[in-house]
Amino acid sequence: MSKPKPKVAFFEFTDCEGCQLQVANLGASLLELAKVVDIVNFREIMSEAGEEYDVLVVEGSVASKHDEERLKKIASKAKVIVAMGACATIGGVNNLKNLKPLAEQKKAVYGSVDPVPDAIETKSIDEVVHVDYYVHGCPIYGPEFLKVMECVLLGKPYNVPQYPVCVECKQNENVCAYEKGQFCLGPVTKAGCNSWLPNYGSVCVGCRGLIDNPAADAQKDILQKYGLTVEGILDKFTLYCNGKKERAKYGKESQK
Amino acid sequence: MKYAIINRMDMGRWFDSLKDRGKIYGPKKKESAYVFRPIQEFEEMSLKYIPTILPPKKYYFPQKEFLLKFKINPFSTGKAIREFEEFILFGVHTCDIAGIQCMDVVFNEKPADPNYLNRKEKMTIIGLECMDYCDKYASCAAVGTHVYKGGYDIMLTDLGDEYAIHINSEKGDKLVTGKKYIREMNAKDKEKLNKAFEEKLKKFNNEFDGDMERIDKAFEKGFFSPVWKDLGARCVGCTNCTAVCPTCYCFDVVDEVSLNLNDGDRYRVWNYCQMDDFAKVSTGEDFRAGRDARQRHRYYRKFKYSVQKYNKYFCTGCGRCTRTCMAKISLVETINQLLSGKEAK
Repeated sequence: MSKPKPKVAFFEFTDCEGCQLQVANLGASLLELAKVVDIVNFREIMSEAGEEYDVLVVEGSVASKHDEERLKKIASKAKVIVAMGACATIGGVNNLKNLKPLAEQKKAVYGSVDPVPDAIETKSIDEVVHVDYYVHGCPIYGPEFLKVMECVLLGKPYNVPQYPVCVECKQNENVCAYEKGQFCLGPVTKAGCNSWLPNYGSVCVGCRGLIDNPAADAQKDILQKYGLTVEGILDKFTLYCNGKKERAKYGKESQK
Repeated sequence: MKYAIINRMDMGRWFDSLKDRGKIYGPKKKESAYVFRPIQEFEEMSLKYIPTILPPKKYYFPQKEFLLKFKINPFSTGKAIREFEEFILFGVHTCDIAGIQCMDVVFNEKPADPNYLNRKEKMTIIGLECMDYCDKYASCAAVGTHVYKGGYDIMLTDLGDEYAIHINSEKGDKLVTGKKYIREMNAKDKEKLNKAFEEKLKKFNNEFDGDMERIDKAFEKGFFSPVWKDLGARCVGCTNCTAVCPTCYCFDVVDEVSLNLNDGDRYRVWNYCQMDDFAKVSTGEDFRAGRDARQRHRYYRKFKYSVQKYNKYFCTGCGRCTRTCMAKISLVETINQLLSGKEAK
């Protein structure tokens, strides 16, 4: 009578596996999830590994030829692909590599030896395979991961909020970072994390990527008003919002 | 009893006597700002405060409000109409009371909203009159909310050593009668109250460069004013102005299914016209694609559409939208620019 449980596999690429740790830390909710799915591959919590799966959860970005081929192979077996964490969804911190030519970066890191001859420019997962669901963030926000998994299992789309972190931050009644003379990326960053950092008195660092229509000009005006230099501003954006997709959004000076 | 007097020293014990009437929420300091929070002891409150980050709206129209439970298989839905517990809002400014009056109009319109009305029924409002401007962002005199005009159970006016109490409902009456330390107002007290009120009125002046009649006209003519283009260029679209507004009532309805994939909860959550996709429809059209159009819409919702629909301004002059705007978009400046109409023709 009951349908077989969908098989879910977690695979990691170039990353710190911190997002898988977030999943492992879900505690009771993870046990609830395990009642409705079979987790067949998850390095951080199990030793055995299954070869077959329906839902593929990919963590990490693609940083080498080997990564690229492995991802294509793994993805070909999956019915649904979920990109999990900033490295997978937007390239994340790994994008810093792309700021300078590859040869130059290799030389700075490894000197005269080259232990990674097949390294390529950092890519987000969707630059290599089709992605059905995105769980943004560095690391991911546990409750959002569960929400996305519910959507995967129900077969309905998950809409990543298109509004900025300010929406959640204000509803949580935090004192605005700008009021405290701090520089926060909340106004241009996709919400969905329940303003996780500002709730603890920190500023948003933009790890979820830019909203689709960031008001680039207005934002620059404000930052300058608050005494920030253009270089200082760009530095802040570089950490996470440096990928091709993010740059394209900031480049378009739309009125939207 | 219509008017009464309580000594400042007795406020603490009066507050204690309110505790068994329900949970009490009042203004409290949070870093450099103020917020409404549950209050245990009178001393926790900051009764001298500028408008809180969010208005007390969050207690009668919560950010995320549970509506009902449902099951997918076999399909069933729970009761949508809920009962609530008594609660008291303590120290509410007249601008925020005006906000509650606006919400009342909206949610009483047919079909009336039972969740809002049921909550409202359990709410007791103890107002606190402002004797001076809270800060430079308020525009309460322009919309006439600097003085009390009903919508509360009790209104407190600070007279120095004592508070004047105006009792405005049966509910309010029950909170003060039978207390030895609260006495009926005599002629001398009344004189003192009137004098304080006169002094207060001297401090408040219309913050706009014209009366409401001129503002009506400015909005009538101003739809294509360059004022809106200017706002659109400066606005970052953070939505804060709508998030903190005591009269914004737009909401979205969302279903959250639990991990057993069969039981779910339906919620309503705040939703704002300043959101990028607020007026986007499934065919891809966006009726207010630009931030200029969205900002204009916000102003028209406060000064024109609500007047046409409810014969009421939906700006309470609390100044929150100006205070919270990191682009420093000022409501008073915008209205005055619109009034000047220099470039509007």
